[in-house]
Amino acid sequence: MPNQLLSDRDVEFLLYEVAHADKLCELPQFADHSRETFELFLTSARKLARGVLWPAYKPMDEAPPRLEAGQVLVHPVMREIWPRLAELGITCATRPYAVGGQQLPHTVGMLASGYLMAANAAAFGYAGLTAGAAHLIEAFGDERLKRDVMPRLYSGEWAGTMALTEPQAGSSLADVRTRARPAGDHYLLDGNKVFISGGDQDVTANVVHLVLARIEGAPAGIKGVSLFCVPKRRLEGSDNDCTAAGVFHKMGWKGLPSIALNFGERGDCRGWLVGQPHQGISYMFQMMNEARLMVGMNAVATASAAYHEAVEYARTRLQGRALSQRDPSSPQVPIIEHADVRRMLLRQKAIVEGGLCLLVTTARYADLGDTRSLLLLDLLTPIAKSFPAEFGFESNTLSLQVHGGYGYTSEYLPEAWLRDQKLNSLHEGTTGIHGMDLLGRKVVQQNGAALLGLSEEIAIDVAKAGGSEGAALQQAVERVGTLTMALAASGDRDKFMLHSADYLTLFSIVVIAWQWLRMTNAAAGKQGDFHDGKRQAARYWFATELPRVEHLAALCESGEASYAEMRPDWF
Amino acid sequence: MKILVTVKRVEDWESKIKVRPDQSWIITEGVNYRANPFDEIGVEEALRLRDANAPSEVVVVSIGPAAAGAEIRSGLAMGADRGILVKHDGFLDSDAVARILVKIVEKEKPDLVVMGKQAVDVDDNVCGQLLAEYLGYGQVTFASKKESLESPEEKGKKAGLKLSADKKSLQCAREVDGGLEVLEVSLPAIVTVDLRLNVPRYASLPNIMKAKKKTIEELLPAALGVDIAPKVKVVKVEPPPLRTAGIKVPDVAALVKKLHEEAKVV
Repeated sequence: MPNQLLSDRDVEFLLYEVAHADKLCELPQFADHSRETFELFLTSARKLARGVLWPAYKPMDEAPPRLEAGQVLVHPVMREIWPRLAELGITCATRPYAVGGQQLPHTVGMLASGYLMAANAAAFGYAGLTAGAAHLIEAFGDERLKRDVMPRLYSGEWAGTMALTEPQAGSSLADVRTRARPAGDHYLLDGNKVFISGGDQDVTANVVHLVLARIEGAPAGIKGVSLFCVPKRRLEGSDNDCTAAGVFHKMGWKGLPSIALNFGERGDCRGWLVGQPHQGISYMFQMMNEARLMVGMNAVATASAAYHEAVEYARTRLQGRALSQRDPSSPQVPIIEHADVRRMLLRQKAIVEGGLCLLVTTARYADLGDTRSLLLLDLLTPIAKSFPAEFGFESNTLSLQVHGGYGYTSEYLPEAWLRDQKLNSLHEGTTGIHGMDLLGRKVVQQNGAALLGLSEEIAIDVAKAGGSEGAALQQAVERVGTLTMALAASGDRDKFMLHSADYLTLFSIVVIAWQWLRMTNAAAGKQGDFHDGKRQAARYWFATELPRVEHLAALCESGEASYAEMRPDWF
Repeated sequence: MKILVTVKRVEDWESKIKVRPDQSWIITEGVNYRANPFDEIGVEEALRLRDANAPSEVVVVSIGPAAAGAEIRSGLAMGADRGILVKHDGFLDSDAVARILVKIVEKEKPDLVVMGKQAVDVDDNVCGQLLAEYLGYGQVTFASKKESLESPEEKGKKAGLKLSADKKSLQCAREVDGGLEVLEVSLPAIVTVDLRLNVPRYASLPNIMKAKKKTIEELLPAALGVDIAPKVKVVKVEPPPLRTAGIKVPDVAALVKKLHEEAKVV
């Protein structure tokens, strides 16, 4: 059987049995939609993913972009993929009609993107970045940018990038140094950016960079950074002095170039201010939730493709015999017959499907859009980004492990997905940043209102579920509550944040247990392999992961200080 | 010109198909359905012909349960103009399908009927031929084209079927053993399409939204005056035999001997 990348049945289950996505159509902004439009769009996305993006995955992984005479050349298959991605309408599917979008709920758009990401993360990356750049202009740009640039991005005529990072300013964007000098209706930019995904390519006629830079005389730090729209070519087609200085040789996502860009080497790089001066970082942060959910979806997709590959391999690869079978002349069995292989597969299933359910849950809050839902969205975003990235990486190693020695070779795909997955714990905020975001901001802001809201949401599903799993989850949620209060009450900021990484892990385990409870609730009373598989994976998560919460909570509370007190010279 | 395209709802080949214990049919629970892929090629070709010969109209017809409306909607989302669903639950033989289609053709009076060469569920490959016979129309089966699916013509979404300047006939290449045969057929005509005619588009989101406003007319076989009592009876359905383990032969001579004496292929 060909790799299905993402399970159609699971997508259907999550949409209609767990999240009741068809009910979203009762909201005025989604009134034109129905289950029928969702299904037609998902069908198109699947076809494009399986028929066009997927066959190009390995060729693109094997022949990364190169820089020749100042121009980045990407794999030629990208020129066939790009118009089809644009034609599908994925870049502006969820955007309003007014800007050419179709007001598709994020819940559905997220899953459609998931198929494309699972098929070929790098190829989809061009579309994701373009959508992000266009959305920034839509939200903050002036009428001119909205007229001249945004539609060309949404239509796929041009592609977009996010040019944030500089050698000295990665996670710390307050240290951005690129300068912008006023020059009439535009600014002249001067500086260097690194790790700009899609920063140059030979697929689209133009590339539009959304650049963070400092206007001359701007205050230091985060409050002096502005956002600029800087096209590779100006509207009339002339060169705009943005030079690709080098291509990074990366571990994964090899089909998508990561570029070092120089702006203004000749002193003639024009940029147009997006929104107000000095607001660049806050604009970026308003887009962050969406970008982070996309990273989470990508991580789930990358783990999902590898999981399905591993299941198929385990069903067909013959090796060894049952422990009780002593006859060496008896035929070998498929490795899925070995309990340890099923352990590795079940763990992948629990991570992949738990993560996918979380993305759907989170996207639904974005669609509902009321104050309470947005608060929950805000709280869950660091989990929805970092859980799939961190646990997904483990899931990807397990897929490779199931393939044994063959998995270590590039003849098989799990090693490629493992390489791709690593990026997801790095970009859009490292896992460490998300741990600090969750504990330092999300759970404590508004006197813990978001955390309270989350416990109410979970309590509804616990009440529905009843039983020991419901009780265990309830207990874990209460433990998170008491732990958070104890940490916040300590008053010592350093001590409070000391185990933010462990806090993120335990919080993630609880949130994923909630997802599995939601899924078992939806599967209640339903027979058959699919629903039985759901119940079994839930059982696994509750039995093996949820008990870790107490251990991690005790660690957070104890003030255990091994690494805090470790001195640099001791390494 | 007006083009009628047929789209059949068939079992998705990626579903696990199991035979009912009484061997009367397959187990339909848990099976996914989709449009017959040959019919999607038909829709694509009709859309290309329409767009190259404005003003034209593409009408998608399906015969089947209410759920087959999804396959019509999918054709409308690809870009077809309107749909007709002849509602019927249960088995229909190809002859009944052809006779229902005769009535639709009489009602719609299309210049061209485009059909998949066969449906991938039962692989009968007779419906188009029967329809042409009943109508007394010319027919071209297994329509294909000279250019490859990687050619600039295909990338430019050019129709493989070529309408004559006076719009009274259609030139079609068809697949035959060892090559292509080019035929000219006067309109109205029936064309059944093969795999290498085009790569069908998928429905884009803007077109999916536009399709919501397009109409699907619903009809019943009885109202069309067609007797659909089957002339063909399904006697038994069997799964293909399971593959048995292979054997190893010591040398080429032994292989040839076995192929000659047991397999009787050389």
